[in-house]
Amino acid sequence: MTHATFEAQVDAYLDGELPAGDARALETHLAQCPECTRFRDGRLELRAAIVAGIPTFQAPPALRERVLAAARGSSSARALRRFTMRNVWRPLALAASLAVVALGSWTLALQRAAGVALADDVLASHIRSLMPGHLTDVPSSDQHTVKPWFNGRLDFSPPVSDFAGRGYPLLGGRLDYVDGRTVAALVYGRRQHVINVFLWPAARGPAGGPSTRTRQGYHELHWTTGDYTYWVVSDLGLAELQDFAQLLRQADSTTSVPASR
Amino acid sequence: MESSGRARFEAVVLPHLDAAYTLARYLMRNAQDAEDVVQDACLRALKYFEGFRGEEATSARAWLLTIVRNTAHSWRKRHRPDALAVEFDEREHRETIAERDPEAKETLGRALDRLAPEFREVIVLRELQGLSYKEISDVTGVPVGTVMSRLSRARARLQEALRGRGGALT
Repeated sequence: MTHATFEAQVDAYLDGELPAGDARALETHLAQCPECTRFRDGRLELRAAIVAGIPTFQAPPALRERVLAAARGSSSARALRRFTMRNVWRPLALAASLAVVALGSWTLALQRAAGVALADDVLASHIRSLMPGHLTDVPSSDQHTVKPWFNGRLDFSPPVSDFAGRGYPLLGGRLDYVDGRTVAALVYGRRQHVINVFLWPAARGPAGGPSTRTRQGYHELHWTTGDYTYWVVSDLGLAELQDFAQLLRQADSTTSVPASR
Repeated sequence: MESSGRARFEAVVLPHLDAAYTLARYLMRNAQDAEDVVQDACLRALKYFEGFRGEEATSARAWLLTIVRNTAHSWRKRHRPDALAVEFDEREHRETIAERDPEAKETLGRALDRLAPEFREVIVLRELQGLSYKEISDVTGVPVGTVMSRLSRARARLQEALRGRGGALT
């Protein structure tokens, strides 16, 4: 066997892709040729260096979410379409509500409809955030980076906590627009799942909730504290999402009570 | 697609998303482009999934990687001539490759990035994804003999890059 033949075949040999007859010939040559043995050893070292030095990558959670959403029937496309449709109808609905303001039962029905519209609004914002480049304005796992980032961008300073120790790392923050106002969106991760937390100052009223809604494979949790209205959205399992919501509620009650109005 | 088809797509194709993303990362040499390519490829895969009749997990992976590979190549032609990508991505690569032996990793990683795409893809498919020559031949659309010679040449170049570092590994 010539060196040229050996060098042409040794990679296939080490890959286990050389036909048995060729492999035997190569082994016979290897046993008596120190130069070719050195060549093979060099290739073995290269393999080890590639394994150690060239990383594989994990698909980013947001990418996985988008592909999942597409696989589950283009829910994002549907949600977005409904979102824009509703913007057209909202002024008409408002006019209608003014026209029937005397009829209490009608306004009640409209309030309920407004609650559904708000939940849809929040869900559409969640899905939009999963599209490329929309997830965070301030990507950071440091609550002391994310919280001050909102200064000057919002008329309130949202409570921000990191729950990495509990398996829900903070991924960052973002401004979003929900219910006709700019709100804080905090982004958390759980394995491959993204959790969006939307919050803004609550209208005066009793604290309540949480209530739960499931739509298009996403769970939404909603509650109100003395200070804030919270919406939490994810495709994470409901039990885990409730666990996460509990952490948020605890953190909120410890951080915001001393500073409450 | 019917819901059973979607469930099958989730079960058969999505487990290979990391492999798809890794291939796209090395073909595009840029995280954002890789994400876009994989998303695009998955939408295509979803569209053509009815026509996919593979039974084994490995063939589903090869099938998805074929679509990713073709999507990446047409993307590069359309959006970004190769020459433009080189200096842009070497910067990024330096940040992603560095752990135990930063020097060796950077040299190998950069050497891989400098390989022509047809050499780069066979290294990724073989060394990082563990595909057989036959599967690599299916994914890249070239005969097994060509796969074999490309792998051999690609490895020879990577080994030169390692030696160029001062021969510490040989």
